[in-house]
Amino acid sequence: MKIKVDDQLIEKLQRLALVEINDNEKEIIKNDISKILEFFNKINELNLENVDPLFHPIPQGKLRKDEIKTPLDRDSALQNVKRKENGYIIGPSTVE
Amino acid sequence: MISKLVEDLKNGNLDPEEYVAKTFERINKLDKKINAFITLRDEEEVKKEVKESIKRGGKLAGVLIAVKDVISTKGIRTTCASKMLSDYIPPYDATVIEKLKNEGAVLLGKTNMDEFAMGSTTETSYFGPTRNPWDLERTPGGSSGGSGAALAAGYVDLALGSDTGGSIRAPAAFTATFGLKPSYGTVSRYGLIAYANSLEQIGPMAKNAEDLGLLYSIIAGEDDKDATTIKYSVDNPPGEIPIKGIKIGVLSDILEMSDKSVVNVIRTAIDKLSSEGAIIEETKLGYAEYALPAYYIIAMSEASSNLARYDGVRYGYSKHFEGNWIETFSKNRGEGFGMEVKRRILLGSFILSAGYYEEYYIKALKVRRLIKNSLDQLFSKYDVLLSPTMPVLPPKIGEVINDPIKMYAMDVNTVIANLAAIPAISIPAGFYNNLPVGLQMMGRYLSDTMLIGISINIEKILNMHDLTAPIV
Repeated sequence: MKIKVDDQLIEKLQRLALVEINDNEKEIIKNDISKILEFFNKINELNLENVDPLFHPIPQGKLRKDEIKTPLDRDSALQNVKRKENGYIIGPSTVE
Repeated sequence: MISKLVEDLKNGNLDPEEYVAKTFERINKLDKKINAFITLRDEEEVKKEVKESIKRGGKLAGVLIAVKDVISTKGIRTTCASKMLSDYIPPYDATVIEKLKNEGAVLLGKTNMDEFAMGSTTETSYFGPTRNPWDLERTPGGSSGGSGAALAAGYVDLALGSDTGGSIRAPAAFTATFGLKPSYGTVSRYGLIAYANSLEQIGPMAKNAEDLGLLYSIIAGEDDKDATTIKYSVDNPPGEIPIKGIKIGVLSDILEMSDKSVVNVIRTAIDKLSSEGAIIEETKLGYAEYALPAYYIIAMSEASSNLARYDGVRYGYSKHFEGNWIETFSKNRGEGFGMEVKRRILLGSFILSAGYYEEYYIKALKVRRLIKNSLDQLFSKYDVLLSPTMPVLPPKIGEVINDPIKMYAMDVNTVIANLAAIPAISIPAGFYNNLPVGLQMMGRYLSDTMLIGISINIEKILNMHDLTAPIV
């Protein structure tokens, strides 16, 4: 599959990943992504039709007993928060 | 050897004050050049802890250890070598840190690495590259390059690294030290800052195979806090296993993809093992050239999802606050992450987006299945599979960093073990023009202690252990 890596795709990826790319970085990233996707296309040489994907080396997770465990206290849990008030985190605006 | 160090500290043959002072003296003298540490703890604080720990006892009572800065340490800054976490102080210890403390180990500092463990040279660090103690013009490999360099420079005898696609074994190979990527699920990942969950493990690094085994026996084991750990424990450090009669498959397709200089050293080592009675046969892994793209597709996909947590709200770089959440998050993440991390997040987002998920991600997982099946077949014939750890000699600083494909290509031998969840060990094989070359052995799932046991024998046969770079 040949993918065209243009400004439009980079715009879309910035929004999907929530990562802003500045103008200096844009050309390098465009060029790199294009080269890396070409490198990824190597796997298309294989016939993979009847192969099951292997998602994770451990086939299933496990459950623990539903017992209360002592969590971190609130002050410790919030010690790295830059903006907080009365034990709450202040987040950015979620409305336009 | 650690057992002797612990004994000496206990019976007073080695004064703890002097042990710590000498360590700091060496680091203060050399680390401006090497840059193995991102954070070094206060000397007096460390002295006090060492003395208390010797009194309390334990398998590592009073022993200093360097820890890769991707592992959470309560009250000690943990940066992941990123601007994003440059002031982050974890409120809890990773399980492996708790286990080390219980046995009396004392944390010396946090070692340099590629940002978020994404790289093979320790050059993508926000805190500058680490240099290889064997040749300061060259990289120590990565991403656990600071841990490898700290061992080779003679700062410490034990270190922790993490390995997602070779990040313990690359620095072990390039710094003439020992490193184990454990079987998946044998070491808790609780407190390991996640990059690619289905691939990575914390693992031991040391200057000889005995110490490596001791460290592994302490950190391994099931953990309620990590649902992907299995019922497993290593009660005693593994003992020596003679190489005589061990069936070794030498991976010729991997050798063909490696530089001649590296192959020469490995062939010489293989001859020595053969003359000691190892049963050597050439074989092929199959799918060798497909493992690397499959690995990077899976790793980047998992990375884009894992690194979504860095929004600057609960922790991390948080300069921007104006505007709506999309603008705020995008600006903070754009400035907080370095180039390689952004590349991998963007590509991972692309791979997982509608229309491409089947085309890339699912296909890569199918290749992963083929590789696992191929290895299962090989391990019905061989006890271990041997190859060079790295296909090249340690690159010069700047040589591969600007060409992602060239950098990724260095991981061709190491990613296989991560895809298949099997253990892989890197031990020093020899030198080429005074540059270290590492030998990798992969084994069946849960054969970690066997790999260590064989390595204890091989390090004697090759006379390659407890090496310190001749740096002054």
